[in-house]
Amino acid sequence: MRALAARRFAATGARWKDVVFERQFDLFSLADARAVEQEALDEGYRFDFSATVSLESEPDKYKCPERETPAFTDGGTNADGRRQVGVGDNVIRKSATVTGPVARISRIEQVMGYLADGIPEGTIAVIDDSGGTLTAPIIEGFAGVICLGGTVRSHLGILAREYDVPTLMNCKIDTLSDGDVVELEVTAAPPAADAYETGDTGHARIWLVGNEG
Amino acid sequence: MAELNYRSLLETNNYLRTLSDTTYWLCITRTVQESKLFPMNPYMLLSYLNSFYRLPTLLREIDAATPAEELGDRAREVSLKVDTVNAAWGMPAFYLIGREMLVNWGLLRPGDAVEDVVDVLDFSRRFNLAYHRTDGHITNKEFGDRSQFLPERTLQVFEADLHGVTPGDRLHTAATKLVAQLSQYAFLAHCECRIGLHNSGPYNFGEGRQLIVRDFFDLTEGDYPWLDGIATRLPVNNLTIPIVFKDTNFHLMDDWASFEAEPSYNAANIAAVGMYTSDALTDGYVPVGMDNADTLAETMEQYREILNEATADLWKRIATWTREQMIDAGALVYSSVAKDFAHLAGTYRQEDWLSLDDRVQRFKPLMNDEYGRDNLGEMVGLLGFPHQKTSEYSMARYSGLNQNMLTGIPYSVLTDDDYAPTAGSTLSGSSSLPAKNGLWTTSAGRIDLDEYNRRARGFTPAVLQGANRYRDEEWVKWHHGSAEADELYRLAQRGSRNLEGRGSGLRRADLPGAVEGTSGADR
Repeated sequence: MRALAARRFAATGARWKDVVFERQFDLFSLADARAVEQEALDEGYRFDFSATVSLESEPDKYKCPERETPAFTDGGTNADGRRQVGVGDNVIRKSATVTGPVARISRIEQVMGYLADGIPEGTIAVIDDSGGTLTAPIIEGFAGVICLGGTVRSHLGILAREYDVPTLMNCKIDTLSDGDVVELEVTAAPPAADAYETGDTGHARIWLVGNEG
Repeated sequence: MAELNYRSLLETNNYLRTLSDTTYWLCITRTVQESKLFPMNPYMLLSYLNSFYRLPTLLREIDAATPAEELGDRAREVSLKVDTVNAAWGMPAFYLIGREMLVNWGLLRPGDAVEDVVDVLDFSRRFNLAYHRTDGHITNKEFGDRSQFLPERTLQVFEADLHGVTPGDRLHTAATKLVAQLSQYAFLAHCECRIGLHNSGPYNFGEGRQLIVRDFFDLTEGDYPWLDGIATRLPVNNLTIPIVFKDTNFHLMDDWASFEAEPSYNAANIAAVGMYTSDALTDGYVPVGMDNADTLAETMEQYREILNEATADLWKRIATWTREQMIDAGALVYSSVAKDFAHLAGTYRQEDWLSLDDRVQRFKPLMNDEYGRDNLGEMVGLLGFPHQKTSEYSMARYSGLNQNMLTGIPYSVLTDDDYAPTAGSTLSGSSSLPAKNGLWTTSAGRIDLDEYNRRARGFTPAVLQGANRYRDEEWVKWHHGSAEADELYRLAQRGSRNLEGRGSGLRRADLPGAVEGTSGADR
């Protein structure tokens, strides 16, 4: 873009001050932006997506998400025979752990379904998104939340605190299927104020208790 | 407007550099913005560009109608959307980040738009100096991450009238549930960003207690077209909820209105709450449901129900939006952070603040999610743009690196002439969103825009009329008990359940309930 703008300016033969705003669409136009995008797409490049609407509305421009690989693999088994399947940062310290079946929430349609049918009691949501809007109308109905991104200061962390929903942020988990019953160690201390600078995070553990299916 | 000379450039660059350092600190000490619902990074970048092209023109009109320092006085007396995060930080920072993008792309040189930069920062500085007049600091960062802009007369009314709570009682439950619902709704109504909510304080309330003031803005029909028909049973557009905590030290209230406390925020430590509203037409804070604890609890429960329903209604509406509509809405939410200045001045026009400029529209095809993420991360986190480098000998305030987020104005503009002084004042733009058709919800009822502007132009709060405007905390210290000071305090005490007409001579020990060591009524 810089090179294009420089070439266009040189071609004007005018002084910069007479071009920068007066002829700004000559330097870079909507057609130029489209051409930049098209050039990348023509070379076979596909963009990472952040919002699901991008992937759904422009599937030819974005990469489909690759099959996930487990991000947590070093969990052991405790004395009760439960296997550790993840770690995270506890938002609100509770007096007891929370146990329930997990449900992965990543799409508008799922939220719409929960809005219509209600959330099964005890559900622990697994959410990729540390924002506060995808699950806005239903967050209060979860028994717990495992968030795979963000920190305790993210929007979802703020809302978890306000709604008093047991929540672990910044989680790394092994593969979990819908219906797997997990126990969240929300009795763990929340990260210290400087934890994200020192890397001293991930002290709350997630245990696989069983599978409802 | 802009007077371009060595002094004005020195002041401009000083403020710009402070913003650069503070904004870098804010960015690296907070998390990345992300949402599976909204393409946030693309909309943020477009919003910065929209600010760059439109803000100088809009601010000049506002400043001519109501000078920035008067707007700061207005904002200091109440909680309006022109607050710490929106106006004191966001407005100048967004403008300057937009400028940074264009410099990076080679479409702007640092001397270009110099008159615009000087005007925007001059407006912002004058607003901030007046807004923060009570504590005397220009930013929360400069004040050690504190935000204490309210005068004593307002805080005394809060302290006397707030209702005491204990965990599990009806009002405690109602208040915590309403604050949660308001926070959730504000994130959604503002497209996943936090500019619909605001926190200030802490204020010392004695006996190991601290007050923080929690504000929520643009709750129903008003400027945002997507709120037409949403939450229309709510009679107010803004709510302020003062909350007193016991045994909690709020040690940080930054320029993004984020707070940190030791021990951390815990609803079990809430000792007292209240509820008020204010907008461009109110003379100070107006109590909402404050007659007694039961009425307040009932009002909070009603509002919570309305907003719970509104959250579902709005979410369903947004869930049908196209990607471009989501991007436009988010970009307009960000680039309109200063819109309530226009409401205060009575110069608000919908197309000014809720259109994406044609000069910005041309960049939309670049704004895929990946480029948005990487460009933003490079610009405000890594500071990796080549032009963000400085001399190899320099060490920036927080990073220690020879990198600055924001580029200064070269003083050579005073002698060289190959730069364009302004981006221009002709505004033309559009939006992919449905047009606004609803009314504006104000303290004067639900009215149309012409009526809103007409009322705003003719209104000056009594505490800012005549000599009252300059009767600050320092003056009060030497004149409490005088007829003039009593008059000033009685203005803030209008509508107070416990302090109506009491005047300026009160100390904490004189407030209702203080004798029993539990200052304030109903505790």
